[in-house]
Amino acid sequence: MPPLLQIRDLSKRFSGLVAVDKVDFDIQTGEILGLIGPNGAGKTTIVSLISGTLRPTSGHLQFAGTPIAQLPAFRRAHLGIGRTFQLMKPFPGLDVLDNVALGALFGAGSGQRKLTQARDDAAYWLDFVELGHRKAQRADDLGGPDRKRLELAKALAMRPRLLLLDEVMAGLNHTEVDEVIAVIRKVRERGITILVIEHVMKAIQSLCDRLLVLHHGQKIAEGPTEAVLADPQVIAAYLGQRRV
Amino acid sequence: MRAARGIGLGAAIALLALVPWIASPTLVQFGITTLLLAALAQSWNIIGGYTGYASFGNSVFFGLGSYGTAVAMAQFDLPFGVGMALGAVLAILCALLFGFPLLRLRGHYFAIATLALALAITGIVSNLEIAGRNIGLVLPLLKGDWVFYEMALVLVVLVTAVVFWISRSRFGCALIAIREDEDAAAVMGVNTTRYKITAFALSGFFSSLAGGIHAYWITFVDPVSAFDISLNVKMIIMAIFGGPGSVFGPLIGAVILSGVSDLLSTEVSNMASLFFGAVIVLAVVFMPRGLVHVQQNFRRLRWRYFAQNVRNHRI
Amino acid sequence: MSLLLQVTANGILLGGLYALMALGLGLVWGVLNIVNLAHGAFIMLGAYAAFYLYTLLQIDPFVALPVCMLALFCLGFLLQRYVLNLIVRAPMFNTLLITFGFDVVLTYLAQIAFSADFRAVNPVYAGANFAVAGVTLPLVRVLAFGAALLLTTALWLLLARTRLGRAIRACAQNLLAARLYGVQPRTIYALTFGLGAALAGAAGDLYGVVSQFNPYIGNSLTAKSFAICVIGGLDSPVGVIIGGLFLGLLESLTALYVGPTYTDVASFGVLVLILIVRPTGLLGRTA
Repeated sequence: MPPLLQIRDLSKRFSGLVAVDKVDFDIQTGEILGLIGPNGAGKTTIVSLISGTLRPTSGHLQFAGTPIAQLPAFRRAHLGIGRTFQLMKPFPGLDVLDNVALGALFGAGSGQRKLTQARDDAAYWLDFVELGHRKAQRADDLGGPDRKRLELAKALAMRPRLLLLDEVMAGLNHTEVDEVIAVIRKVRERGITILVIEHVMKAIQSLCDRLLVLHHGQKIAEGPTEAVLADPQVIAAYLGQRRV
Repeated sequence: MRAARGIGLGAAIALLALVPWIASPTLVQFGITTLLLAALAQSWNIIGGYTGYASFGNSVFFGLGSYGTAVAMAQFDLPFGVGMALGAVLAILCALLFGFPLLRLRGHYFAIATLALALAITGIVSNLEIAGRNIGLVLPLLKGDWVFYEMALVLVVLVTAVVFWISRSRFGCALIAIREDEDAAAVMGVNTTRYKITAFALSGFFSSLAGGIHAYWITFVDPVSAFDISLNVKMIIMAIFGGPGSVFGPLIGAVILSGVSDLLSTEVSNMASLFFGAVIVLAVVFMPRGLVHVQQNFRRLRWRYFAQNVRNHRI
Repeated sequence: MSLLLQVTANGILLGGLYALMALGLGLVWGVLNIVNLAHGAFIMLGAYAAFYLYTLLQIDPFVALPVCMLALFCLGFLLQRYVLNLIVRAPMFNTLLITFGFDVVLTYLAQIAFSADFRAVNPVYAGANFAVAGVTLPLVRVLAFGAALLLTTALWLLLARTRLGRAIRACAQNLLAARLYGVQPRTIYALTFGLGAALAGAAGDLYGVVSQFNPYIGNSLTAKSFAICVIGGLDSPVGVIIGGLFLGLLESLTALYVGPTYTDVASFGVLVLILIVRPTGLLGRTA
């Protein structure tokens, strides 16, 4: 089976700073790929390049056989790419239900046409992430862990084929992490392919089939989770200190 | 419940429609001015209130509407309807032509770019022979203010109906998403460019109709009055004071501010400036989200609402 | 050819004055992130101050510069200290609206107090010219240009070399850090806005000498100042000078080759174009 997402030679410069440096990788349909690396390695940049928030300086991206490097973000959303933001961005003036309804309205395909139907979809996905009880609250009244569930529900309501999760576990305690792991497993059971950026070891080990390790914008390892975590280069990247 | 509201609204509109036959001529004139301002505030609401792109140059659409109507009627002896259509076409073309580049700008850049655009177009029009240059054009006279009153009323109802539709439609959701967080909206599948330009064109369309009616009513256009910058002030402050991003906010703002300014002044247009300037300053400091928001939160917070607005924004 | 030289000279002299006009707007924008839509009104008031000082007290407009500056400084200081400081942390749009409100009120008050008639400040030497290389240079314009350059240099020195200047720049870059160093933002902000108003007042004084004015010139001058800041960027006064010269030359050449009624169209058209093509400013950064 051809990979769902193919990335070749992907690079991104920000006037002088090379954030992503000739990265190659594939994501297979149905897998959970973990994207790990020290802070500033370029992980969120890669997610932004895939979702369309940023345009690449060079390189090819192909999603389900369609080249997407020149497509604007909303077209990629229609093709089935959904993402969450690391700095959570709920639509502040709207309540929780309507935040998610937006995803249903404009997501894959060109989404729902009717507002009422979109709200029903939204309610469904809020229950899926176990946030249903808060659907009438204002989005910016939510606390940290609930905001992450909201982000997830917004992305799911778009009916993505590929879901890009950017540090959904950050700042959660052990119980909360277990809860989110369970939800992500449910998402995978739906047949949705997932790319996760994570630092939390427990999540990486229990969720990810394969890992991709970035360091200073370059790929330094790719492969099955266990193997990659044992790779001495990877360990050095995380623990080793470079003398400046 | 819904039916009762609908009936109430219908009754109010019917009552308003009867005004020219039960009120004094001065009141009718006040009514026309207020209705046109309400239409302008409501059309600004589409691009400024719902989409969050605060245009400081919507007076350009009003002016194009005025001039389109004037040129058609004064230079080519065409009927009023054709004039209005010409004005509307000019406005929409302008919105589409300049919307693409200008709507890529954010925040205050967009605001000032639209202001500069309005100034530039004023300059161009005041050089055009067919538009009467600096002297302007005189339109044919139509006796009977009641005609203009009813036209203005129909326009207000029309544009409010459109805003009402926006507030409950998928289109409106897109606009609100763009206003709240444009990047997130794009990532969620909203074609931001298409929606922004449509909103801008809609806003321009209705502003131009108001301009057309106004031109025919006062039977005169010249660059200064047609592209009057103070119109920008009025439509923005009325929309903001009443409640941007709400259906009835701009209307309430228009009626209240127009009414009070009329009461306060002996010479209508001048004193109004002072009043509006003062209102802007007070409103922006104490109630930046408009009356509708005040009404929603007053029960909870009472006077602390105003203090809170100040405390959150001061240094 | 000598016509072109003349027009170029006119453009440069005008440009110097324009640069001074834009300086105040740029300072306030760069430090406080406030785009002051009443900036043109401040310039207008400076012109009226010079006018009345001359007609009532026979004070030469160039001598009156410090007085005009002081008067506008006080106005600006009070407006910032007691009104604008209340909304500094609100979205940018709110400050645009409030300064728009100031503009409306000030224009109205000026029209009531001074009438809508056009005025000009005409000191006895107003008609004097001198010729250099076949080009006629009106004395007042040369003096105005000189004064503008002087004030620009003075501002640059203030910002770069004095304690106040350092405090202002600190607030521009990092308000929290500035506070930790003992800087009082409320006062610094008020002083900065006052300074911007003072510069506008000086520009107005000089404007009154080289051109006519009435209460309604404000909007156009604000837009031009904004255009200059966008062209030249906010990074340094040098950018503003270049922007001012550019606009002055543009208007002069437009008046010659297209027509005098098209100068505003040219200025604002260029502004719209630049905002479309390079919204973050042509030379420096405005974002």
